[in-house]
Amino acid sequence: MKNNAYLGVDIGSISTKGVIIDDSNNIIACEYIKTQGNPISAVKQLIKSLESKFDSNLYKIVSIGTTGSARKLAGKMLGATTIKNEITAHAIATISIHPDVRTIIEIGGQDSKIILVDKKIVTDYAMNTLCAAGTGAFLTNQAKRLDIDINDFGSIALMSKNPVKLAARCSVFAESDLVHKAQLGYKKEDIVSGLCKSIVNNYLNNVAKGKKILSPVVFQGGVSKNIGVVKAFEDELKTNVIVDDIGHLMGAYGIAIMSKKSVKDNDFSFRISDANFETKVYDCSGCANNCEVIRIYKDMKLMDSWGNKCENGLK
Amino acid sequence: MNNKITIGIPRALLYYKYNVLWQSFFKELGIDTLISPETNYEILENGKKNTMSEACLSMKIYVGHVDYLKDKVDYILVPRIVSLEKGMKLCTNFSALYDILNNTFDINILNYNIDVDKGITEELAFIKMGQELGFGKILSLNAYKAAKKEEYKQNKINYLLQEKRLNRNKTKVLLVCHTYNSNDNLVGKLVTDNLKEFGVDVIYADIINPDGDRLLYKNISKALYWTYNQELLNSIEEYKDKVDGIIFLSTFPCGPDSLVNEMCSHKIDKKMITILIDELSTIEGLQTRLESFIDILRKDRFYE
Repeated sequence: MKNNAYLGVDIGSISTKGVIIDDSNNIIACEYIKTQGNPISAVKQLIKSLESKFDSNLYKIVSIGTTGSARKLAGKMLGATTIKNEITAHAIATISIHPDVRTIIEIGGQDSKIILVDKKIVTDYAMNTLCAAGTGAFLTNQAKRLDIDINDFGSIALMSKNPVKLAARCSVFAESDLVHKAQLGYKKEDIVSGLCKSIVNNYLNNVAKGKKILSPVVFQGGVSKNIGVVKAFEDELKTNVIVDDIGHLMGAYGIAIMSKKSVKDNDFSFRISDANFETKVYDCSGCANNCEVIRIYKDMKLMDSWGNKCENGLK
Repeated sequence: MNNKITIGIPRALLYYKYNVLWQSFFKELGIDTLISPETNYEILENGKKNTMSEACLSMKIYVGHVDYLKDKVDYILVPRIVSLEKGMKLCTNFSALYDILNNTFDINILNYNIDVDKGITEELAFIKMGQELGFGKILSLNAYKAAKKEEYKQNKINYLLQEKRLNRNKTKVLLVCHTYNSNDNLVGKLVTDNLKEFGVDVIYADIINPDGDRLLYKNISKALYWTYNQELLNSIEEYKDKVDGIIFLSTFPCGPDSLVNEMCSHKIDKKMITILIDELSTIEGLQTRLESFIDILRKDRFYE
């Protein structure tokens, strides 16, 4: 008799994450890869890699959950039983690891969020608006400009004794600020540390504005791997900030837990990575709305389509 | 002037507030009207092309509707409303509407001018409009009075339907949003359609009981001088204890809303989110925000 296992997949703008858990929420396999603007191939690659880490003699996958910005597309590909937004997924994952958590800070590739929790219930949240200022994309941009590997960013920041003040509201303004400070003769580590501080200030002033940040505070998302930003948060909030080893997998972990509620008795096959998926996006001309209709094909057969506002889009 | 003319009414901005009044008035006088269709991307695109970039999305949509009507009708109804009550104002866009359209298109605009601060009431405005169309003062006044009765009836029906929704045992969200946004195909409907899909009942702050207490807004702010925002504040006070959460929805960049919504977030103790709609082409971000807000309202415990 095989044990039940549950798969969670989180497809973000920058990275795609997969986690397989068992009945007691232990992670039995996980993977983290870059999305590279192609969610279909990222999901296929992710599934292939998870298969190699997964013991199919011991376990069988009975439910699948997808989250993240491409959750719908991936959900169709994988035949997901649960498709939910990443805010709820992150909250569920964090609560299951830190039952006493009060504040979750999440900064990803293109968005940042704050989630407030009380007695294991999400009570409030806020998210950045459409602009990606103060997120991972901003830091990656500035690292490139300074010719620094993004992985070294945090450790360089920690060397600074005199961080510069920078505007972080907008990547365009930050550029002129940054060039100006560099030409004034500031050291690279001072600028890098200034960037970390400006990310934190931007977050606290724009995303978390008006919200009470109570500890324990848990910091997640790709940017939480940057110790410079973690340090800047601790200095600013004057409290300890928890960063989990699996902080980057939280969305996938959370959706795997949530999918347990929607168990179906069919054995998931990893063969998905061999199937040929294709999406076609076109502007429908059925009516004046000109909807952007998305169609997904599996091995040349139409699986599903969405984006249409009326029946004309189905033709 | 004969009766064979057609009056075009753009399905945008104040149409959603006064359509019954306007249409009944013209019907009483035996004049044909043509109403532009629901907002679609073509209308929005044409609106964007003919508007300065700083105008708000609702304004761009309005200009698109006028563009649709311009070659199809004899007159277009473009209201100019400065104030509806003594000491109160409307957003400057509503006072500027006539001039903006007059300078953008070569069209005949029907005279419709209300400025209560200067003694020009709605009644006077309708008499003048009737006269411009060739009807006498008494005839115009009677048509206005009949239309006013129809308007009251419709408002009462809308309110009673809303009360029914309030008494249902479902998750309820109060949508605080101007009438012209909550009813628009590319603004409010994006939000309300999604909410209905999640099984949520939408309570509209812009549906107002014509016989209700109109002074409730004073609990939030006594000093606010924008009529339509004051009406929304009044509704917040009326409904807030009967709903699970509040969604503030506005179009970018709305001056009055940016001030009033911010004030509300400090003064009202209720779960709320603010959603700002711009000329966006994808609705995924919107869905994420709505879905997680509803999760919070329902206090779902997915992990148990």
